[in-house]
Amino acid sequence: MKELKILLILVVVVLVGYWGIEPYAHSVMHGEVKKPDYNYSDLKTTAATTGDPAKGKELFVANCASCHGLKNDGINPGMDKNAAIASFNVVPPDLSNIAAILDHKFLAAFIKNPQQATENPKFAMPPMAQLSDEDVGHIIAYLSSVAKKNLDGKEITIEACGRCHSIKYQKIYAETPAENLKAYLGKVPPDLSVMGKAKELEYLETFINNPQNGLPGTSMPRLGLTKESTEKVVAYLDQIADPHREQRNKLGMWVIGYLVVMVGLTFAWKKKIWKNIH
Amino acid sequence: MADEKVSRRDFLLYAMGAWAAVGVGSVLYAMYKTWEPLPEVKAQATVTFDLSSVEPGQIKVVSWRGKPVFVLRRTPDMAKCDGRSVKGDYTVVLGICTHLGCIPNWEPDKKIWHCPCHGGEYDACGKNIFGPPPRPLDVPPFKLEGNTIVLGEEGPEYKQMKEKGLTV
Amino acid sequence: MKFMDWLDERLAVRQLIKVMLTEYYVPKNINFLWSFGVLIMVVFAILVVSGIFLLMYYKPDSHLAFDSVNKTIMMDVEYGWLFRHTHAVAASIMFLVLYVHMARGIYYGSFKAPREIVWITGYILFVLMAATAFTGYLLPWGQMSYWAAQTITTLFEKIPFIGPDLVVWIRGNYIVEDATLTRFFALHVVFLPLLLIVFTAIHLYAVRIVGSNNEDGIELTKEEKKHGKGIPFWPVFMAKEFFVISVFLIFFFYLVFYQYKFAMDPINFTPADYLQTPTHIYPEWYFLAFYEVLRGFFFSQNLGLIAFVLSMFIAAFLPWLDTSPIKSGNHRPLYKILFFIFVADFVFLTILGKLPPTGLYAWLGFAGSLVYFAFFFALPIISRIEKKKLEGGR
Repeated sequence: MKELKILLILVVVVLVGYWGIEPYAHSVMHGEVKKPDYNYSDLKTTAATTGDPAKGKELFVANCASCHGLKNDGINPGMDKNAAIASFNVVPPDLSNIAAILDHKFLAAFIKNPQQATENPKFAMPPMAQLSDEDVGHIIAYLSSVAKKNLDGKEITIEACGRCHSIKYQKIYAETPAENLKAYLGKVPPDLSVMGKAKELEYLETFINNPQNGLPGTSMPRLGLTKESTEKVVAYLDQIADPHREQRNKLGMWVIGYLVVMVGLTFAWKKKIWKNIH
Repeated sequence: MADEKVSRRDFLLYAMGAWAAVGVGSVLYAMYKTWEPLPEVKAQATVTFDLSSVEPGQIKVVSWRGKPVFVLRRTPDMAKCDGRSVKGDYTVVLGICTHLGCIPNWEPDKKIWHCPCHGGEYDACGKNIFGPPPRPLDVPPFKLEGNTIVLGEEGPEYKQMKEKGLTV
Repeated sequence: MKFMDWLDERLAVRQLIKVMLTEYYVPKNINFLWSFGVLIMVVFAILVVSGIFLLMYYKPDSHLAFDSVNKTIMMDVEYGWLFRHTHAVAASIMFLVLYVHMARGIYYGSFKAPREIVWITGYILFVLMAATAFTGYLLPWGQMSYWAAQTITTLFEKIPFIGPDLVVWIRGNYIVEDATLTRFFALHVVFLPLLLIVFTAIHLYAVRIVGSNNEDGIELTKEEKKHGKGIPFWPVFMAKEFFVISVFLIFFFYLVFYQYKFAMDPINFTPADYLQTPTHIYPEWYFLAFYEVLRGFFFSQNLGLIAFVLSMFIAAFLPWLDTSPIKSGNHRPLYKILFFIFVADFVFLTILGKLPPTGLYAWLGFAGSLVYFAFFFALPIISRIEKKKLEGGR
């Protein structure tokens, strides 16, 4: 009885301490994480989000293809990679699958005004002011018609993050050279290999949805990913950062089961030996 | 009565000891596993090589598991090899002298391999023809996939050769 | 048995077993808190074994360290993650076990004569363990590793005259860099563990000489312990010890597999960057109380530093601060109250240590630091009161 009382004191002290340094301290330090906004409700745009794909293709070739390629439809960019890096310090993305991973309303607002949509005044792409609201709709319709459906987490991550971020543990390297990124963004974007461990997943989701909500002042542009794409990216980052989770959870049960038996055995032996000691 | 007590106590003690041994065994197993080659090393266990990239009379050296593998495309003026031959006119051998492990050099004019260490010589089939080497150059395990050879995997051609005792 | 005879003739093993185990008596009136000494040995063994296996893949180079830990060990080596989790959690839990062991010593007066050497060597072991933990924490070369080393080494700058030069000397560079990492590595894996083993030997030897204290703090002679008031170390004491160890290991491996974040901070999964301090930095939990004392005197940096050093070492002088003839807290009502205030204060400081030192928290930290020292400075007073009472009672 007396020993149980001591144990109880010990447990209470440990639990209070643990509560203080883990859940409580983290709630004070990080505060509330803002909820992601997948409607991109701050963006007001009159541009259409759908239209005629055939017209869209013409508009694409005339307005976009000087910088952007579209492999799915056999369109090569007008400038090669090195020329693009030299002029923008970043590789313009191939737009084959962009409509599958980005929110279309965001995409419409983005085409009209990339700096506003990405919340990054230095964003490399100029506003496409020459396009009418309907034109934008046609282009989005075209992009949707060529985009591959059901991309997996890895593919989306490479599409969405791979121009600037490396994931070197997966042998994925940023498309744009580090020194150009530094010139473009002010610093080299961090490697994402263990990002799933370095940040809470909830935070990552909010951050990807809108970097300014996670790290105010960051030079990372808002990407405008859909909810599904964001979740797939987060799940992928989580999985590559902790590849042995399943093995760990399973082995843990075995080890604890083993020790429970050990407790039984040692308890029986202790009782036997202490039978005559009072 | 006293004896019974002792034996019960001993039984529990032995059971505890045995159970602890199970735990120690598991830990030892985990330790054993940590010494296995890392994935990137294991990835080097097999190497693929395109045989058609070798010109007749030419030798290419492929690095397989850190060792040199000589791939020679023989010309009609070289020794005939029957069973030791891969895909008709290729000689594929481990470039390590069977005497003391030096790496022999190809001498194009004589069409033989000459070992710099103790003067051992091998013909274009890798057979020892002079000096201290006790046996021909070894043939590494291989598998043929069209014109591609996969080193490190045992294909039917290799197994056949092995059965005839021609690989060592 | 023939082999035993052979060994006995050469090494006197039978005599050794008697002296060390079967005829070494510990008092009967001790509770499971006396098992924590052996628990410390168990955790130390776990640390050594898991450490050896980490050592086989770790690379003490500022360019390679992070990847060797987070890629090679955590992802590529089979069960490498297990050894790292175990090592990290064991390092953290070591201090929980140490603190319980020390608190037991403080409560039951185990530091008092004739056990001063036991207490002092134990305290040295605590400081060495802290140094081992600190040097080891730099090795993964994450942001937290880096900035912990950077800030703690900066503390030495405040030492009069030699401070600034000393810091550069310790680091081998103007900032924490490759040279620092490599020398911390050497200290962590060779020098400090060697010292720990030496002092553990002295500590255990001293305990064997003076024997264990007990709940009532009344000394027992060997004869008394042999005849009824004690139990032999083997098998009786160890029978209980095995049970305690097994229960402890369940707790320990639960943490290793499912609740390891407290010992492997997320911030440390970002590689060290000497140009950017993380938004929140804090020491590992076991240093938080002392760290809070450092910050507690927020109005004066120098005072805080002096208080910090004093807080780390003042407990070493317990045998001379508390001179009361009564040992056990069970028989010292006043002391008992003070002790629990002290424990509560230590937990309080630990929690505050991780919170931002602003506003109310800063003042609470100051108050907590004062209570911390008040405990030690109240001891001579209590001792005098208790001595008077004892004399009056006669």
